Amino acid sequence: MSTIIIRRLLWLPVLLILISFVTFALGIYGPGDPVQVMMGLRARPEIVEQVRKEYGFDRPFLVQYVNYVGNALRGNFGYALVKNPGQRVSDLIAKRLPVTIQLNIVVLFWSVPLGIALGIIAALKRNTIIDVLVRALVILGFSLPVIALMPVLSFGMSRRHDLGLLTIGPFLPVGGWKGMFAPEIIMPAFVLGLGILAIYTRQTRAAMIDVLSSDYVRTARAKGLTEWMVIMRHALRNALIPLITIIGFTLAGLFAGSFLVEAFYSIPGVGALAFDAFTSREYYVIMAVTLIGATVYVIFNLIIDLAYAFVDPRIRYKSGS
Amino acid sequence: MSNTLLDVRNLRTEFATQDGIVHAVNGVSFVLEEGETLGLVGESGSGKSVSMLTVMRLIPMPPGRIPSGEVIFQGNDLLKLSAEEMRQIRGNKIAMVFQDPMTSLNPVLTIGTQITEALELHMGMNNEQARKRAAELLKMVNIPEAERRLDDYPHQFSGGMRQRVMIAIGLSCSPQLLIADEPTTALDVTIQAQITDIVKRLKRELGMAIIWITHDLGVIAGLADRINVMYSGYIVETAPTKELFANPLHPYTVGLLGSIPRLDEGKREKLTPIEGLPPDLVNLPVGCPFYDRCRFRTEKCLQENPPLMSVGVKHWSACWNYEDVRQQRDAILKRTALPVAGTPQS
Repeated sequence: MSTIIIRRLLWLPVLLILISFVTFALGIYGPGDPVQVMMGLRARPEIVEQVRKEYGFDRPFLVQYVNYVGNALRGNFGYALVKNPGQRVSDLIAKRLPVTIQLNIVVLFWSVPLGIALGIIAALKRNTIIDVLVRALVILGFSLPVIALMPVLSFGMSRRHDLGLLTIGPFLPVGGWKGMFAPEIIMPAFVLGLGILAIYTRQTRAAMIDVLSSDYVRTARAKGLTEWMVIMRHALRNALIPLITIIGFTLAGLFAGSFLVEAFYSIPGVGALAFDAFTSREYYVIMAVTLIGATVYVIFNLIIDLAYAFVDPRIRYKSGS
Repeated sequence: MSNTLLDVRNLRTEFATQDGIVHAVNGVSFVLEEGETLGLVGESGSGKSVSMLTVMRLIPMPPGRIPSGEVIFQGNDLLKLSAEEMRQIRGNKIAMVFQDPMTSLNPVLTIGTQITEALELHMGMNNEQARKRAAELLKMVNIPEAERRLDDYPHQFSGGMRQRVMIAIGLSCSPQLLIADEPTTALDVTIQAQITDIVKRLKRELGMAIIWITHDLGVIAGLADRINVMYSGYIVETAPTKELFANPLHPYTVGLLGSIPRLDEGKREKLTPIEGLPPDLVNLPVGCPFYDRCRFRTEKCLQENPPLMSVGVKHWSACWNYEDVRQQRDAILKRTALPVAGTPQS
């Protein structure tokens, strides 16, 4: 067990170097010229060259890369060029990261447990009307594009509707950010969580159906255990093992998904920052967000691999001996 | 005279499938005395496992269905009990050991947990008492270092050890009846012998009744007091073990005996297989289900399915032509007639 942790931890810096290299190469060789973007198209060429020199963009690729990584290790990810020019990217991100984290916590808190619960219920009530309804919800969650869902939902929830005799609404405020306990979070958290709800429901249902027909669940029943014990202790624990794998993907997906949602609902998180950076080619911000995102992804995957070993004794012991 | 423990009457089990209704068990009746060992013999699909899962009420419903029957256990019809009442009998008064020890234990729970949970539930023990009892049970089934191994997981045990754990779980609450569903089929021959020896010893010590399901007459010969032979959901012959081996009076039983390898034969004899396949359980024939494969068949067999008929002392056979079987079987089995107890000499 400890050997596997050490081995995985030794891999971590190697992965981070690879990630930073690719990110940096994409930033340098990708379309668009950061200096040109910063100076505008009508800037005089000699001034552009001067700025290029000032920022070190004229130096060889590897030198730039080493400088960048060296600064990044010291917490300096460069400066904003277009919006708030001169501000440190690390400050921008530090200010916005808590917002994104809070949003994601709320998303995970409603969607994952509900998804698992719906999956269990659908598996237990297999082929009944309840199962059919849950499956319909799953298909809906998978196939509703966020980009279409957001405006429709906003229209429905945040306006006054005149229905002849009675007027209803608005039900929810749309847009803005007043912390994770304010109603402004409901719509973005719903939109972001719907897909996750669908994934967890489907995976839990499939895993539970598989596990419920297993021999050891029959053994548990033959022992005269209560149905609650059979499901929660014997079936669910086994069904959750494959679910751990998708947690990693979920977190990565959240990070990417929140670009659009944060931008749409004007939530001052990392997603909105990245969205602005991509549209205005905010070179240092793009690189920093990509680098941090990839690092988070790698670290979460490490944690998940370890969690796997924690839940499944077969993995725990195989690696230990 | 001992008392009746289990009285199964006209038990039927069906499964609704896409191809139609599968008639898995078709009116099975038998009586089990306290402390008796009953062998349930038959090929795959003969209804031996399904009938016992029905007794345990472990048939998934739907698609399963029990259209008729009574299962009187200690005076109560198990089929009429509420789910909660039945749950308190399962694992407590009637325990079951399954065929495949590799998949029958939960991979993510320790052996200790899997033994103690039934003890805590049925016997009201606290965790400490249950662990102590669990260690005793593991010792009883010859698992060394029992206390330490309680914290191990199933994958750290061999197949034979896992089956011994399953038996320990089955016996944990001192059941009156242990149903063993082919407990040795998935194991090596030497391990099979170990398991049957353990069960024999524990039966002597604890005195519970056993229903031992198998497709192997050789395994059951030294174990059972009586044998029910099943074919396509019917009991086709039932007799005390010695009587059944000496005096088989159903063509299917004769066929089963003919397909056991014999070590006492001087020259190498070919085994006699039973030709053909059992009938489709969706479209059961009106007449005898064994008709297609039977060498004793007559016109009557095609028209009417024979009921179990008394053919000797505690010996019943569902064959219209059992007298022909009696006369010809020794020639078919290539053996000299064995002494038969209690049958009228002809």
